[in-house]
Amino acid sequence: MTAPARLDDLERLLGDPADDGNPIGNTAVLAADERDEMFAAGERVLDEYCLNAEFVPRRYGGRLAGADDLIQVLRTVFRRDPALGLGYGVSSFISSVNVWASGSPEQARWVAGTLLSNQKIASAYHELAHGNDFSRAEFAARPQAQGGWRLTGRKEVVTNVKRARGLVLLARTDERAGSRSHSQILVDKQAVPARAIRDLTRYPSVGMRGVQLGGIEFTDCPVGDEAVVGRPGQGIETALRSFQLTRTAIPTMLAGVLDSGLRLTLDFAAGRRLYGRSVADQPEVRRLLVDAYLDLLICDSLGLVVSRALHLLPGQTSMYASAVKYLVAKRLMDAMHQLSLVLGAHFYLREGRYGIFQKLLRDLAPAGFGHAARVACLGTMLPQVPLMARRGWVNPDPAGPDLFRIGEELPELPFDRLRVSAGGLDGLVGSLTAAADQIVGDSPEQRRLRLLAGQFRAELGDLAEAGAALHPGDLGVDARVEVLGLPARYATVLAASACLNVWLVRGDGPAWVVAALDRLARSIGRPGADRGDRYREPLYQELAARHADRRSFDLSRRVLPG
Amino acid sequence: MTREPTKTGNHPRKETDMASNAEGPADLRAWLTGCVAQYLRRPETEIDPTVRLADYGLDSVYALALCGDIETHLDMRLSETLVWDYPTVDELAAHLEELVAAQQPAGAR
Repeated sequence: MTAPARLDDLERLLGDPADDGNPIGNTAVLAADERDEMFAAGERVLDEYCLNAEFVPRRYGGRLAGADDLIQVLRTVFRRDPALGLGYGVSSFISSVNVWASGSPEQARWVAGTLLSNQKIASAYHELAHGNDFSRAEFAARPQAQGGWRLTGRKEVVTNVKRARGLVLLARTDERAGSRSHSQILVDKQAVPARAIRDLTRYPSVGMRGVQLGGIEFTDCPVGDEAVVGRPGQGIETALRSFQLTRTAIPTMLAGVLDSGLRLTLDFAAGRRLYGRSVADQPEVRRLLVDAYLDLLICDSLGLVVSRALHLLPGQTSMYASAVKYLVAKRLMDAMHQLSLVLGAHFYLREGRYGIFQKLLRDLAPAGFGHAARVACLGTMLPQVPLMARRGWVNPDPAGPDLFRIGEELPELPFDRLRVSAGGLDGLVGSLTAAADQIVGDSPEQRRLRLLAGQFRAELGDLAEAGAALHPGDLGVDARVEVLGLPARYATVLAASACLNVWLVRGDGPAWVVAALDRLARSIGRPGADRGDRYREPLYQELAARHADRRSFDLSRRVLPG
Repeated sequence: MTREPTKTGNHPRKETDMASNAEGPADLRAWLTGCVAQYLRRPETEIDPTVRLADYGLDSVYALALCGDIETHLDMRLSETLVWDYPTVDELAAHLEELVAAQQPAGAR
């Protein structure tokens, strides 16, 4: 079944969130949140749809083909209840990618069977003492003389650890420091001695309140050699490779939160009159709405392009995935915060028509630190900057146009070809230059786009110069703030390339792309387009029209139920 | 190892005038030691070639940058996890020696 057909099915099952009579609607979602519970009615619907099949590659009987389609389907869930998206869905996604990337066929079949029977697999990496620094993990798997391993240690603040059937644990398998000292261990909780594992108490949280964040302690728990995912010692490599998919896909799914935030704010602004006029007619309100709309299109363009790059340029995505996590998470959170200013006191209420907004805002916050913190992503990118500066940012080859044809058929995800380093190759940056050369003609839009593309090329030149001049001692975790700014600025250049190229293959009107590039350019201190603000009013009209037509605000422009 | 196939040949240029694979084992070891010392901002004399780089605080992603420097220095494409698999200066130098020797055309030896 094609993604749009699957999406329509899921939308129908979930119904109109704003309808008070909908048992899967906002009112019911909020009530579950107030009780700190997972949304049971929502979970039943997702069981019926077998959402887990979206995470399982087709070769193992699931529906996972294109990463861009996966994102669209999950966005449907995140638009309504991010706690359901994470707590029902993507926590199993995160653990499963380790197995698709490095597991044996037997392990992959077991994970597929577990997920396809609506059971969960938790990703147990986190230890409170070590945060994102998972190479310091202390949870240990010790080899036994007679074969097999014994597991000892704790994993803390792990989604679904208690109710999951399976666990993917990151364990130290070598006492020595280094990058070959850890391994993923796949455990069927029903197959290990009950006395060897103990649930820790649940961690209450500010957002995602229904999500069951728990902990687990293992004491001398025996597992067989077949529990190790890949070769012993391959764990850091498996994580850095396979998490490129999740670090790209999850923030891009979360764009559904901003889609809903925009809809709620437009509902509010259109319906409310203050000082004798509609709130929606206030110029400041329109400015905030258009900015949020542009941020959604920017996030969607970058996230979907990188999700396609995982299929088409798998050796190059190690920097891109971290750039998505960094940039998309920030823009989504900032945009939601700006929208909350329009709602004013109404965003602060936990019930009523707009009560869902504060939940969306709280649930979005983990985008900034969950799975990998934004600053940790910059730290991961930084060591590749010098090589990029010497190779990838100087006349790189462009990627083929398929990279930008969102939703078009893709080859199977080549997990085995994802690399921990891009080796100085950068097709997305190459496509920025190639796209700029395609914009010929003398309309005001074409002139502005050329001007803006020139600013990003200049930015790239500056990045190459600064990157080549970096001292090796600048690249570690104690990197100076301005040095960490280099990968942050690079992420903005990638976003510009994604927007420009997506626009070129879509043949849309130019308003959004001029305004998006203008916004991105100004965010890195470039001048932007001369009179770039003239595109704002047409964009507001486009936004209002989509709102009236009940269409999504992202690139897909899908018709929504209700 | 496999790399992205490139359509029009995106081979790195010679990026450094130091690029030379004619140097001997001792040179390579000394160059590596200097490189690691620079990363750690410590004098070369403090770098013990038998100590694991991770013990000096050179973590996994940091090691990728070192790998890029070695590629540039030797003008060779290497496995990006090289420094993880040969975690001391001595092991790295010995392995790189073998790779360099294997790359020399027979007549040049």
